[in-house]
Amino acid sequence: MSTKLAINLHKLARFTNTAIPILATIFFLAGRYISFYYHFLTVPLLGLLLVNLYYLFGQKNHSLLRNFGILGQGRYMLESLGPELRQYLFSGDTEERPFNRTERGEVYRKANNVDSAASFGSQNNFDATEIKLRHSLFPISRGDVEPYRMTFGEERGIQNAYTLTVPIIISGMSYGALGKRAVRSLARGIAQTGGLMNTGEGGYPKYHLMENCDLAFQIGTAKFGVRNRDGTLNDQLLAELAAKEQIKMIELKLSQGAKPGKGGMLPKEKITQEISELRGVPMGRDIVSPTHHAECQDYPSTIAFIRRIQEISQLPVGIKLCIGDPRQFFELVGEMKRQDAFPDFITIDGAEGGTGAAPKAFLDRVGMPLFPALKSANDILLAAGVRQRVKIIASGKLISPGSQIIAFCLGANAVATARGFMLSIGCIQALQCGSNTCPVGITTHDPDLERGINIPDKALRVANYIHSLEHDLDELLCSAGARTVSDLTFDHLYIPNESALYPFANHS
Amino acid sequence: MTIPKLKIISWITQIVAVVIMGQTLFFKFSAHPESVQLFSELGMEPKGRLLIGALELVACILLLIPSSIVYGALLGACLMAGAVIGHITELGWEGPRGELGMLAIVTLICCGITIVIRHRELPLLKAIHSDTPTERGRRKR
Ligand SMILES: Cc1cc2nc3c(=O)[nH]c(=O)nc-3n(C[C@H](O)[C@H](O)[C@H](O)COP(=O)(O)O)c2cc1C
Repeated sequence: MSTKLAINLHKLARFTNTAIPILATIFFLAGRYISFYYHFLTVPLLGLLLVNLYYLFGQKNHSLLRNFGILGQGRYMLESLGPELRQYLFSGDTEERPFNRTERGEVYRKANNVDSAASFGSQNNFDATEIKLRHSLFPISRGDVEPYRMTFGEERGIQNAYTLTVPIIISGMSYGALGKRAVRSLARGIAQTGGLMNTGEGGYPKYHLMENCDLAFQIGTAKFGVRNRDGTLNDQLLAELAAKEQIKMIELKLSQGAKPGKGGMLPKEKITQEISELRGVPMGRDIVSPTHHAECQDYPSTIAFIRRIQEISQLPVGIKLCIGDPRQFFELVGEMKRQDAFPDFITIDGAEGGTGAAPKAFLDRVGMPLFPALKSANDILLAAGVRQRVKIIASGKLISPGSQIIAFCLGANAVATARGFMLSIGCIQALQCGSNTCPVGITTHDPDLERGINIPDKALRVANYIHSLEHDLDELLCSAGARTVSDLTFDHLYIPNESALYPFANHS
Repeated sequence: MTIPKLKIISWITQIVAVVIMGQTLFFKFSAHPESVQLFSELGMEPKGRLLIGALELVACILLLIPSSIVYGALLGACLMAGAVIGHITELGWEGPRGELGMLAIVTLICCGITIVIRHRELPLLKAIHSDTPTERGRRKR
């Protein structure tokens, strides 16, 4: 390796470390004998000298500073600027994770109701990993597409069956993970479209209820809002909540894609007085929910628990889970048949799902991604002959019509997204959801930051986003020659050979 | 996040610094003979006197605005260090001069304490601040 031309940082650092005291002395003498004004230079240099001595000999935490002193600091400075520089200047439009600029841009445009037509060509890969929709040789017209309708609980014939008319649901995000203004913006926006919003596991959904939208109340593993002291379900609290006009469904969360097998987490920075009351937890400590429901020890007890919630609430009741092993899901469905008790819906959350806070290992490495999980679950329900009895909601990065239509082809009856809606109300993917410092005021309880959210404006964006998605989905349906999303099948998909779905495809 | 107790200490030191620096401003800007005398000895009369006075005024204001306290403390510390150098090299410590010098030292210390307490507010040092190891403790079973 040639180091001749490159700056030798080693030497430069040593040079700096000697130069600082020498310069300080020179300027001091100049100040003494030439003009006192030179001390304007002496003083900062003395300051640098002190800091440098502290770095070299005082502190013990940073080897780089111990070895190179103040010049080593430059690295930390640049590093701390790095994420911003990369995001603003250097990363390409299709590079960032979890959502790249093109994907985010599409949501922003939809939320602003700006035409999302693009020119010249696709930015995406046309290599062996991207799934495409197989359109029909005979597309149908917009007028032939039937309005979307899906009724939860119809199979059980319950009185409070709920009919969903918007196929895109706001996935569970608790008040706690989100600030109150964000919650109210989402709730008000979805109310304008007549869609459904999930409350997340944040306890009594005070702010969700304010905007009169349809709600699915989520029971997390800690059962905030409906909990007994010992962490079991309090029937009475649940019955009271379920009796509320706006609460249309109950979702029992078994697991979540971002951290399957780990309970919800709310960092202590985000626990305000109010949140500690709504959830019934102390302040000043991270809240970590249990890994599982006390009632759900095995297949039979889990199904029995679902039935119990159905009986108490008299509402459609579903479960949310991220699939780890499809064979376990198979067993679960078997147990449903044995007890003849079915959840009214199952939300399949892909491992790529988002979260306010989760350990990195769980984010990166646990759970099946959505598409193969969804396909497996759908196949298992079909094979068991009970697909009619359970609706499927799919979630996991389904923020654009293109990915949503794939989920419908794989068997979803409705799709849900959390981060898509966060983006619609101005999320800039600053990745600070857990630290109460969200710069756009969505996942924070700091009033100075929440100030940025104007509820009526954001609500409009939520509604726009939904309407644009519905519009695009309709157009895709036309192209596929399907009159409703339930006409879509796996055969509508072109699966290239490096896709995770390839093993499922019929290769004849 | 700064601990509340430290925050109170920081505000006390800030105010002490502002009061000391602030009351000398009057003498500087009104060209009080004593002040003129001092700056003549330093060879900075009158521009230097007004310049330093102006900088001290800025430091005082910054020290009182919550979002700029560290910067005010930095500026104040630099000015006071200059004053101390002045006393060491030119002005000496006799009589009332000694008093002035001591006040400069007190202000310097106050600004220093403020900087130490609020060093996390300095920009660009995120990476340095974020990873100070703490003991994790063995897992109990
Ligand atoms: C800020 C935030 C908070 C969330 N809170 C919950 C929650 O309380 N309960 C839950 O089941 N899922 C929660 N999720 C997961 C989402 O509901 C959803 O399953 C996941 O993000 C996948 O959807 P997406 O990829 O469209 O965001 C949260 C996600 C985010 C980003």
